[in-house]
Amino acid sequence: MTMARAMRAQSGLSGRVDWTYIAAVAGLVVAGSLAMLSAASTTTFYSAILQKHFLALTLGVTLFTLTLAFNYQVFQDQAKFLYGLAILIVAATLILGKISRGQRSWVHLFGFSFQPAEMARTLVVLSLADFLDRRARRIGDLSTILLGLALCVPVMVLVLKQPDFSTALTFVPAIFGMMFVAGTDLFQLAAVFGFGGAAISVPLIYTFCQLRYPFAPAHSLPGMILSTSRMGWATAAAILLFCAVGLVVWRLASWMRVQIKPAAFAAIPILLSAALLSGIAVHRQLKGYQRNRFVAWIAPQSDAQGASYNVIQSQIAVGSGGMWGKGLFSGTQSQLGFLPERHTDFVFANVGEEMGFWGTSLILGLYVILLWRIVTAARQARDRYGYLVCAGLASTLAFQLVLNVGMCLGLMPVAGVPLPLVSYGGSSLLVTLWTLGIVANIYARRYALF
Amino acid sequence: MNRGGAAPRERLEILWYFIAAMGLILGLRLAQMQLIQAGEWRQAAERNRSQMIHQNAPRGRIYDRGGTPVATNAPAFSLIFLPGKDQSRQDLKPLALELGRQLSRDSGELIETLEQAVRMESAIRLAENLPTQTMFRLSELKTIYPGVVLIVEARRYYPFGRFASHLLGYMGKMSQREWRERKPKGYRVDSRTGRIGLENIFEDELRGRDGGLRMEVDAQGRLKRVLDKIPSEAGSNIHLTIDAAVQRAADDGLRGTLTGRGAAVAIDPRNGDLIAMSSQPDFDPNAFLSTDPSEVKSTVLELSEFNNAISGAYPPGSTFKPIVGLAALGEGRARAEDAVFCPGYFELGGRAFLCWEHKGHKRVSWLTGLALSCDVYFYTLGLRAGGAAIERYARAFGIGQRTSIPLKSEKSGHLFGPETRKRAGKGWYDGDTLNLSIGQGELTVTPLQMAIATAALANRGSVWRPRYTQKIVYADGRPDYVPKPERLGLVPAREDAWDHVQRGMEAVVSSGTGGGARIPGLNVAGKTGTAQNPHGEDHAWFIAYAAKPGEPASIAVAVLVENGGHGGATAAPVARKMILAHFGMMDPSAPRKARDVPARVPAPVPPAPPFPVRGRP
Repeated sequence: MTMARAMRAQSGLSGRVDWTYIAAVAGLVVAGSLAMLSAASTTTFYSAILQKHFLALTLGVTLFTLTLAFNYQVFQDQAKFLYGLAILIVAATLILGKISRGQRSWVHLFGFSFQPAEMARTLVVLSLADFLDRRARRIGDLSTILLGLALCVPVMVLVLKQPDFSTALTFVPAIFGMMFVAGTDLFQLAAVFGFGGAAISVPLIYTFCQLRYPFAPAHSLPGMILSTSRMGWATAAAILLFCAVGLVVWRLASWMRVQIKPAAFAAIPILLSAALLSGIAVHRQLKGYQRNRFVAWIAPQSDAQGASYNVIQSQIAVGSGGMWGKGLFSGTQSQLGFLPERHTDFVFANVGEEMGFWGTSLILGLYVILLWRIVTAARQARDRYGYLVCAGLASTLAFQLVLNVGMCLGLMPVAGVPLPLVSYGGSSLLVTLWTLGIVANIYARRYALF
Repeated sequence: MNRGGAAPRERLEILWYFIAAMGLILGLRLAQMQLIQAGEWRQAAERNRSQMIHQNAPRGRIYDRGGTPVATNAPAFSLIFLPGKDQSRQDLKPLALELGRQLSRDSGELIETLEQAVRMESAIRLAENLPTQTMFRLSELKTIYPGVVLIVEARRYYPFGRFASHLLGYMGKMSQREWRERKPKGYRVDSRTGRIGLENIFEDELRGRDGGLRMEVDAQGRLKRVLDKIPSEAGSNIHLTIDAAVQRAADDGLRGTLTGRGAAVAIDPRNGDLIAMSSQPDFDPNAFLSTDPSEVKSTVLELSEFNNAISGAYPPGSTFKPIVGLAALGEGRARAEDAVFCPGYFELGGRAFLCWEHKGHKRVSWLTGLALSCDVYFYTLGLRAGGAAIERYARAFGIGQRTSIPLKSEKSGHLFGPETRKRAGKGWYDGDTLNLSIGQGELTVTPLQMAIATAALANRGSVWRPRYTQKIVYADGRPDYVPKPERLGLVPAREDAWDHVQRGMEAVVSSGTGGGARIPGLNVAGKTGTAQNPHGEDHAWFIAYAAKPGEPASIAVAVLVENGGHGGATAAPVARKMILAHFGMMDPSAPRKARDVPARVPAPVPPAPPFPVRGRP
């Protein structure tokens, strides 16, 4: 490679880089830094927070640039190594991690603390993309879905062990999104994720019933629903009911001369029953604080002092910002300490209070632009692998956005998911910038030139 | 490296539409919250960050007729706790322990109070009327525990202590139910209101508008700065017709009697003004505002809210005799000159009705009969007048009816006579007439009724509605309220009958049983009474009115000493002290300490309040 070619390659790369995308990333980082400067100003470790943030930012930008410099296909070549790395770091966290707030999710290395779960997620996305790419000829098989899940579940389980429910939850949209855009069989995908969804929503329904109708009589609907959680005759009756419904629908379909595979219909009651049973199992496993968060989401006014305090204070902060906001450093909710986690998980509420509607819609707009550019990168990716990686990252980012902003606006339960690029958090910023660097790389190398 | 067919790109588009829809939903929600509902959320934020510390307004003062304050205000330090938004129960414990030590109170109770404040998210008073020393010790806590604040505010202060307690009333806390009723009027849960007496009746007038400091607080309840200062407005002042000197004489006089229980009322016969009203046993209204909760508790436990002067009904005994005499003489059924022989008993229907003087008074006529209070004479007089006439006259004097003094729990007493019996469907016998003639039987009166009747005897028939308000000086600039004297009725009787009755009452004091009320230089007329009491020792009564020579009577007094025995011995000296105080005279019988004591007793000077009083006078 001569000097001239290298120069051309360099100018060629800069010519192919998506500057809109980079501007959106930079805009979010700047807005996030501003919000953090203001929100953290009343905390005890303000200067330490600033130092960490700008160090992470510098490292992150370096990592972003470095990632842009070499062909992303290296990641596919090294997929096995990356997968091993993912398993290694989450396992190491469980062994070496320090316990903080009941979770063993931080690793201290060379004086820095690092949260590896998010990095593991990106690594899983990269590994799964490689797997789905290699399964392209048999993409319609059920085995593709099951094997793909089998690839991801060990990492998720290790993250759940920390226990970090929120981060484990963010794996789900990435996996689902990638399998969806990869072209798997929709029925199978729906069945598998429907089963999972039911297994999770059954305990949520239980909690909801317990909360809204704590003294429901046994013969009322909530009482009957609650009685199924005790695994008695009511559970058996519910399973029988599912089977009967499946049978009736199948008979109805054949009477209407709709040709449907019997197996598909048999799957419905079996899936529902299995989901119910696993839901009961999950219900018994659900931790108290997880239930409280759900309670705070369903009925925020029920206990303003307890679990729902965060949700109410966050909504007050956002709403009271109005059109123009109260100005940086002068939001009463943030500066007087009413808003919890104001520079981390609830930073968006701080933006809402101090910068108003223009601030929040700016961040939301930048996010939509960012996601649009990632989807565009997926569209124009030179190979399936890049396409899958971009789609997976777009779904993850969109999920985090919806969960975090929805939480600040009282639309979602308090999940403890940070807003990438905007929330304070060194390792999150670092990992996000690295991940976004991969997307930039995929876009820049959309034409298979080098 | 393409392995297999092309990826289904349309699925990517579906994913993108889904993401865009989510973004749209979030954007719409943002617009709803920040553009449409912004006002409501801003109010919520304002409620969050600002806390009101209320400062009790100085209550309106109460003055006696001469302008001596009998209820006023003194500055006091209060300890306030401002709960923080995210203060946990564990944070409260050390504070409660520390406060419990400083205030010598149970820390468990304090924790409950603190938790209540956190639950209700409003400031709460932990202690009031703190002594200066405690205040200085507590001010150190402010720096350690967030949410602890000391403020200075006005508290009620009664300079004379035990003084007209039942009339003035006292300040106390409200029950939960009462507070809910009063809440719309701006009362707070820890507001104190007048419980009984004038403090209760004039609550709306006396109560000022509380001021306060609007403070910015953080989530821990730490004060950041003062946002606003709202000055308090004092309540309206009330001037009473009460004469502090006479009131003191009545209070002290009753307290110094045999049993220390009873009532004394003084009325101005010219207009019905209440000069004094005392009921014993009484209480010190200051004790309810003490810092020491145990002292307040014991005061409440021992409290006798019963105002004997208006709620106690007693048989009037011989003090009823002037009315019986007026009925007989006024109706022309008897003449003052007619003599009656008293052998010590009176026979009716084969039954002997005794005179209190078992040896008998021998020959008595009107003047001697009243002066010596001869029962046999009045049996005779009563039979001549007839039960119906006595009942009519007694009713004209207001016996058996409420005087409609604006005070709560006034009793009407009970008048009995042929008419009352007929209405009840029962018969009337001569024996009843005899009982009524000496003020016994079913007859009961309140000391206030007796004072009104005495005033009517003094002014020849005007029955006044008792009045204690001289004027109300409104704080908001409204013209003063000055109630007019109100005549409830006039006793119709012949002039010579009035002459006889008044001369007879003068004879009681000058040469009869009421000698204990004699005052040289004054015309004092009265009547003793010793009411038989089935429950124990006789009640002692004395009614009197007094005038300077050549002037109309300016004071009428009724004194009752429960179980005091003989009226002339126990009750008359109290009435005498009150009359002396009314005319500003020294007690000539009391030993003089120094020669240069002024003849006129100066109005009592209230003791200085513990702190200089600031604010509106």
